[in-house]
Amino acid sequence: MSQQGIIFDIQRFTISDGPGMRTEVFLKGCPLRCRWCSNPEGLSQTLQPGVYSAKCIARENCGDCLAVCAHDALVFSEGKLSGIDRERCVGCFRCAEACPADAIRKWGQVMSAADCMEIIRRDKAFYDRSGGGVTLSGGEPLMQSDFAAQLLRACKEEGFHTCCDTALQAKWENVEQILPYTDLIISDIKHMDGRQHKEYTGVSNERILDNLRRLSRTETQIILRIPVIPGVNDNDDNIEKTADFILRDMGGRVETLQLLSYMRLGLEKYQSLGMAYGMDGMTFDRGSFQERVRKIRDYFRGRGIDCRIGTSGEED
Amino acid sequence: MGYMNRELHTTAAGFDPVDQNYSIGYETGHRDWSPFPRVNRLRKAFLDREYEIDVERFRNVTAAYQENEDAPTVLRCARAFEKILMNATLFIYDDDLILGEIAAPAKAAPQYPEFSVNWMLHEVLHEPFDKREHDQHFFRCEEDRREFIELCRYWQGKGVDDLVNSQLTEEQTKGSQTGRKIFQTNLYHYGGVGHFAMDYAKILRIGFDGMIAQAKAGLARLDKQDPDYSSKRDFYQAVIICHEAAKKYILRYAQLAEETAAGEADPARREELLQMAANSRQVAGGPAKTFWQALQLFNYATTLTLIESNGHSVSYGRMDRWLYPYYEADMREGRINKAFAQELLEVTVVKMNNPTKVRDGGTVRVRQGRGFGGECLTIGGVDEEGNDITNDLTMMLLDASVHTRMMCPWLLVRMHENTPYELKVKTVECIRAGYGHPKIFNDAPTIKAMMRKGCSLEEARDYAVIGCVEPALPGRENGWHDAAYINTVKFFEMVLNGGRCLDCGPHCGRWSVCGALGKHLGPDTGSLETYRSFDEVLESVDRQFAYWSDQMCSTLNIIDQAHRERKPLPYVSAYFEGCLENGVDLTAGGTKYNGIGPQASGLATCADSLAAIKQLVFEEQKYTGAELLKALKDNWVGHEKLYALVNSAKVHHYGNDDDYADELFRFMFECYCRNLSGRPTIRGGQFTPGVYSVSANVGMGLNTKASLDGRRAGEAISDNIGPVHTAAGSHDIKGPTAIANSVAKVDHSLATNGTLLNVKFPEDAVSGRTGRDNLISFIDAYFAGDPMHIQFNIMSSATMRAAQKQPEDYKDMLVRVAGYSAYFVELGKELQDDLIQRTELRF
Repeated sequence: MSQQGIIFDIQRFTISDGPGMRTEVFLKGCPLRCRWCSNPEGLSQTLQPGVYSAKCIARENCGDCLAVCAHDALVFSEGKLSGIDRERCVGCFRCAEACPADAIRKWGQVMSAADCMEIIRRDKAFYDRSGGGVTLSGGEPLMQSDFAAQLLRACKEEGFHTCCDTALQAKWENVEQILPYTDLIISDIKHMDGRQHKEYTGVSNERILDNLRRLSRTETQIILRIPVIPGVNDNDDNIEKTADFILRDMGGRVETLQLLSYMRLGLEKYQSLGMAYGMDGMTFDRGSFQERVRKIRDYFRGRGIDCRIGTSGEED
Repeated sequence: MGYMNRELHTTAAGFDPVDQNYSIGYETGHRDWSPFPRVNRLRKAFLDREYEIDVERFRNVTAAYQENEDAPTVLRCARAFEKILMNATLFIYDDDLILGEIAAPAKAAPQYPEFSVNWMLHEVLHEPFDKREHDQHFFRCEEDRREFIELCRYWQGKGVDDLVNSQLTEEQTKGSQTGRKIFQTNLYHYGGVGHFAMDYAKILRIGFDGMIAQAKAGLARLDKQDPDYSSKRDFYQAVIICHEAAKKYILRYAQLAEETAAGEADPARREELLQMAANSRQVAGGPAKTFWQALQLFNYATTLTLIESNGHSVSYGRMDRWLYPYYEADMREGRINKAFAQELLEVTVVKMNNPTKVRDGGTVRVRQGRGFGGECLTIGGVDEEGNDITNDLTMMLLDASVHTRMMCPWLLVRMHENTPYELKVKTVECIRAGYGHPKIFNDAPTIKAMMRKGCSLEEARDYAVIGCVEPALPGRENGWHDAAYINTVKFFEMVLNGGRCLDCGPHCGRWSVCGALGKHLGPDTGSLETYRSFDEVLESVDRQFAYWSDQMCSTLNIIDQAHRERKPLPYVSAYFEGCLENGVDLTAGGTKYNGIGPQASGLATCADSLAAIKQLVFEEQKYTGAELLKALKDNWVGHEKLYALVNSAKVHHYGNDDDYADELFRFMFECYCRNLSGRPTIRGGQFTPGVYSVSANVGMGLNTKASLDGRRAGEAISDNIGPVHTAAGSHDIKGPTAIANSVAKVDHSLATNGTLLNVKFPEDAVSGRTGRDNLISFIDAYFAGDPMHIQFNIMSSATMRAAQKQPEDYKDMLVRVAGYSAYFVELGKELQDDLIQRTELRF
């Protein structure tokens, strides 16, 4: 168990990504830059400080971060820590260690599979009774495919159901690494048009689609998702092409197609990281968007695809 | 025994399909939950009625005491009971199918001067009941108020509390509700004995005539050589007087029903009234012969108990068990159909809400609600051989609960390794409807706790729950549950500050008899300034627990003895095994199992405080003990850094499945249980520790200075067995499985008076089939770790905030406040805020 992973969160008791109650391990680093990403702390593989200004108890009461920062990287406004000068910051995290108020969060930590298993194991009773287990998510877990495979394997050795939530922007050999230890793959199709895909996610969709084709020929269970983004991928043409792809290229071999309606999630994390949110300025009418998502669902169903809105698997 | 995950099934069926979905969370604007219009009308009539004060009982009990001044106490009590019953104004309400109130109109509170008039008189003169911030009661007219005051005068010096107060020493009172409120013995100090489940199977089987026959046989058996001859004789005679009076009272109801029927124009209603009259005539002396009569006799027997004394949490035992033979026979013989059986159950359930009482202001501040409270109704579980008992009534009582959604009864489902899946589904459907019932008990640790109290395995399996979470044997145990609230955070001040309160100084009302003389409230067992090791801190906790347990337990024994001397209970004694057999009143220890069960609050606050001391002072050595003490005395002002730190994730906190902090919680839990368990009580039996606060953690917090968990003075202390949440944030941040694991690390069976875990889930986390299954799995997995109890609030903070703003729209919104259900809008603002603030656990 020598392999180390870079992890930005381990959430216990999640129910959205895979069956039953689960522990979800979020691996840090992603090759995509989706504008709507709700986990900006998972994008870079580097450990990053995040600043929660509201928690800062003000320089006059504390100043512990200033006392330990040797690089003058802390930015204050109105007496409170408001950000970090990312140019100056060397990522020593002494400020995060010193802060008594949880105002500086260290996004990412280096953990071994054994470290993760120690946390995962604690909720065994809950997995057993709910048919749940462990989900690797991110970021993109396949960016750390050696570690991911090792962790999934450790889970299987203890009898846990395993799931990997991946964008599949990886070499097929990396996908193959995890398949022996993965019961369920959750992946998504963001756009069928390569140029549009690149426009909104930073990469083209060729490799993703290719991996989906190959994956559909394996035994692994697949849940496919579409993050439905108003004005981006919810047009008839794209929806039709997505359905064509699922039915022809993947032979219809998906358990469920889940439509995840766009939500403005993760804003506070962008702020903590000093990053701009890629969907700023986009406005849409929630009512008509909901209606649109229902129509998309009905279209897929009309094509014979088991399509649901949301992740719960509910008949809505 | 353990909690397994076998999927077992039952053919037991309620009125609704087992997986009927009742929607998720509280909904405003819905009034008609029941399929029976009659039930909806009765429910609405109850909600629309005002809480009144009724002086009739007060008048009659006073007259009876005056007429019998020379009689032995037990006979005086019996004569008073008789007088009340003979003179009570009777009420038959529209639509009702079950008769019997508590010698007062529905929702009007009778008065019980036998226990205490001191607070009654004080409050009526200086802190009027109708001017309270919450839990108001109203006099119908000024004449009633004047009569109330006049009647109080007769009773001064004659109450149970007067006898108690005359025996208490300064050392016993300095920490009580009249002192610094480390422990509060209000319940039995100022009120009657309740908190038990009577033997309903017996009364339904033999009726009042059977009770009288047993008493007469006891009387005939008496031996004049027995030195207790006269007290036993008086007791038997008192039992006979009470039950003869009960018979006459019920016949008065029969007559009234017949008279009402004669004047009734609607033939259907006339028929109902005549049937109620016939039922009453049958059960006035005889056993119940039908399901309807069983419910009728149940209601008479219970309300008579509440007429005799105002003890609360007079619980219904295992109703699906004792009632089933009558349902089964009626169904088998075709005397009844399921729909009518269901309607009768629901009418009975609505009726259970009628009894109300006025509590003393001190109690009201820590424990709100105007019902008697604590009428726990236990369903499910196993029989003496360990077989599951789920039957149609189990399901129908759940249906009745969700169709009525009222404060009473406090429905409780026992679960065990063989609980059928259908019962779990039905239970969870009710829970996620969000009206606050039912709560769930775990058989394995509870049966173990019962055996710790001395029960055999067969007896232990027949436990029912009393009040909030107190397990007891119906008809065989007088456990005096809920005997005192213990504020462990307040006594922890003595641990931190050399036996002194944190705010020790001339402003304190006790200064002249305490600090000014160089004295301490508690023994000096060290202070944060003097401890040289963490072990010394733990040792100090143990010594303070021992000292304050001495004060509290000796006080409770005095109170117990005062009940025996001033207010024996000859009517209800007949329902407890041993009393009629041996000629000994329930209050004198007449039944098989006896005990006194206080309950601790704030254990997590203390545990997180210990974690801060251990980690910051003795391990990291970042702060000295003196610095921590200074911060507390300053209420954290000027110590912002330390305040932030103890509230941050950098310090270990209970409730996160973190062994470091959970171990300290275990220390607190075990130290408390060890210091109470095994102490003998005056009635026989022993003290039984409970770990629950109901909603008292809010009121107790108001009286408590800052604590090292990062709580400021006045904030709520931790609730029940749950983790800390301070104004700075919740200390549990790892979600519900982590809380569940933390809570399950202690041996719950040590807390023989019960433990309570409150978990709030937002509406959207439990929706759909997935949400239902996850809730079932959560309960199953949690119970596998052998904790005793769990209950859920299914609601959003948004709903609660809306209810604060528009109370009129949320009049019937029940919320489970730590062990009991209450109407949210009737709670005080602090308690509402506390509920809103509680961690929202997200799936």
